[in-house]
Amino acid sequence: MGKKNFNIFRVLSNNMAWVILTLIVIFFGIFSDNFFSIRNLLNILSQNAYLLVAATGLTFLMMSGEMDLSVGYTMSLVGVVGAGLMVSGAVPYWLCMIIMIALAIFISFINTFLAIHLKLQILVITIAMMTVLQGLSYIISKSKTITGFPVEFKFIGQGLLFHTIPISILIMFVVFFTMSFVLNRTYYGRYVYALGGNKESARLAGINIVKMRYSIAVIVGFFVGLADIMLISRLGSTQSIIGPGTEFSIITGIFLGGVSIRGGEGKLSGVFAGILCIALLSNGMQLANINIYYQYVVRGIIMISAIGFDVFQLNRRNAIKKIKKA
Amino acid sequence: MSKVLELKNITKRYPGVLALDDVSISLEAGEIHALMGENGAGKSTLIKSVAGAINIDGGKIVIGEREFEHMTPSDSLNNGVAVIYQEFNLIPSMSVAENIFMGEKIGGRFVADFKKMHKRAAEIFAQFGVDIDTHAMVESLSTAQMQIVEIAKALSKNVKILFMDEPSATLSMTEVKYMFEIIRRLKANGVAVIYVSHPIDEVFELCDRVSVMRDGRYIATKNVATTTRKELVSLMVGRELVESYPARTPPQGEVVLEVKNLTGNGVRDISFQLRKGEILGLGGLVGCGRTELAKLIYGAAELESGQIIVDGAPVQIRTPYEAIKLGIGLIPEDRKREGVFVDYPLDWNVVIMCLRRIAKHGVVNRKEVNATSDRYINELQISTPSVKQIVKNLSGGNQQKVVLARVLAAQTKIIIFDEPTRGIDVGAKQEIYRLMNALTNEEISIIMISSEMEELLGMSDRIIVLHEGTQAGELIKTDFSQIAVLELASAAK
Repeated sequence: MGKKNFNIFRVLSNNMAWVILTLIVIFFGIFSDNFFSIRNLLNILSQNAYLLVAATGLTFLMMSGEMDLSVGYTMSLVGVVGAGLMVSGAVPYWLCMIIMIALAIFISFINTFLAIHLKLQILVITIAMMTVLQGLSYIISKSKTITGFPVEFKFIGQGLLFHTIPISILIMFVVFFTMSFVLNRTYYGRYVYALGGNKESARLAGINIVKMRYSIAVIVGFFVGLADIMLISRLGSTQSIIGPGTEFSIITGIFLGGVSIRGGEGKLSGVFAGILCIALLSNGMQLANINIYYQYVVRGIIMISAIGFDVFQLNRRNAIKKIKKA
Repeated sequence: MSKVLELKNITKRYPGVLALDDVSISLEAGEIHALMGENGAGKSTLIKSVAGAINIDGGKIVIGEREFEHMTPSDSLNNGVAVIYQEFNLIPSMSVAENIFMGEKIGGRFVADFKKMHKRAAEIFAQFGVDIDTHAMVESLSTAQMQIVEIAKALSKNVKILFMDEPSATLSMTEVKYMFEIIRRLKANGVAVIYVSHPIDEVFELCDRVSVMRDGRYIATKNVATTTRKELVSLMVGRELVESYPARTPPQGEVVLEVKNLTGNGVRDISFQLRKGEILGLGGLVGCGRTELAKLIYGAAELESGQIIVDGAPVQIRTPYEAIKLGIGLIPEDRKREGVFVDYPLDWNVVIMCLRRIAKHGVVNRKEVNATSDRYINELQISTPSVKQIVKNLSGGNQQKVVLARVLAAQTKIIIFDEPTRGIDVGAKQEIYRLMNALTNEEISIIMISSEMEELLGMSDRIIVLHEGTQAGELIKTDFSQIAVLELASAAK
């Protein structure tokens, strides 16, 4: 059996997100005057760092063959709870951050707990959970904007290291490299792949499926919580509408990044590119003054295309395999 | 010799069925022990209990010194038990090496050492003279290669007891010989192998002892050297087997179905004719494309090229709906998933394909439903307390009759039976054969896919054998023999 023969088409289609990202960069580079300024690029990255952090958590979940739609509303609730405690002055900001992360983990844990005990997909649970969280968020925030965070807290989202590098970008890269390592090099990461590839095989190989699912829930919660801290500290205020919608960008980015809708396939580097695509597109469309409603349409089309491409590749592979077998 | 595994009074209940009833079998080090029995005898359930894939309701599993009443997959693995299931338990999107060492730690405590993993996988392959790229994704392998990866997976775990559930079913003759070599080497290394197999010849070629199960019960253990084929068969079916296939003369009637160069769904260039009242057998190894061909004719899979001619007229069959309208019916292989609606009543199942005919202005006529159901309950002698019985609670044989009733109620003239007697007990099998024979007397034509050699030879008027998706050859009744079919099936000519 020979080595894999190099196939340019396969390489490109396996790294679709990077191809698209390159095209987008070239496009905006040509048609937008200030796109290539360092200022704009840093701006885009620091504005969207929280997206990649949340996407990292969700990638683990989607890699294992599950899906969570309640991410955005989790962020909404976590945000108003954390912000409320912080501005009340009774709780120090660092404790608020711990509470925010703990709350996000708790919600994610509940989702997985219900999914396991009701023998349902997490996706189904989170459809219901979304509404619950939305309601709770408005009850707690009383539909008001919460503002007046301590300077130390705002530093996370707005601060610069050595007066040049935004802290949020730093966090983003630390998360990305650490979790790439976990996913690719550790047993734990490989088990996540195995879970998405074939749950029953994984179980019979002696992998504790239930433990794995709960640990993934913790990862999802942790990064969603962290992402929300980054988001509201950058904004300097929050309200219940901050958060919802995030899940859509993240999931589109993850699909674009080549994570299969069935799980078990994909790379975090692809997700990185996928999220950047989404970030650049929103940024570009805003710069180009495209009406927000058109933006919704475009985003929806991108999501369908990303999923469609995944399924198309899957079918093509199955077809090739059938011919091989025959 | 020392006992490496003892199963004591194992009992497993499923709702309504006693899958294992007080089964006790012991296994010695370095022996190849065949486990035989009809479909549904409980062989697979027994394997799953030892592997910890299911929980037993009673009895004990003794491995060496340790006793287990509740086995888990990791307990089983840690005590040297490995299982190769009928359906492979591989992760298609991961590499060969990673599949072999799944669940094991090669490298540090948290971080895996992939170089070492690939090296050790290559060593295992080298040990058995196999050449498989350890970096290849499992989904790109052939069935035989996947089988070898499964074996390598078992070997990597320092296995003492290896269960193999019908490992030869998907392999060609040469691949089977090759696998036997590997099994013998395992035996030489002191591994005890439990080999579940249907072909009796394999047992005589490979095994030392053989245990027979029937209807979830342990029947007997024999030394292969001192038993006979006849004895084993009678132990399996519980009586001297009278091979009573109805006597048939191949009909010479008109051609009702002709396919020309059918290609698609994994099969290529298939051409044959089916005559009125004929039973045409389709033989070949598992995975050779018979079911795929059936689905192609039935419109359940996309036709790429070729022609289907029904009653002399070329037709387009794009969906099962069109096939049914043309009088073609399919009785699928996987009865519970593709055949009956298990949670619905019998009458509902019988009329589902002919609702349009028995409805008035779109409203289903209750009287018609009852009449149709009653008619087929009588004609096919379905034993059921009422037309309202939930199909799940019927026996396998009666469920199969329900599917047949449904196809007949849709007034089909050509019926494709995919494994007509799979999972059906011996008595009911005879009845299905009798029914098939009776149908052909009523000018219904049958295409029968069968992996049971005796059934294929006994029932068919003519046999077409497929090999890896292509037509390997055709046998007429006077040329029928097991050897002839197997040679075509494995393309050994």
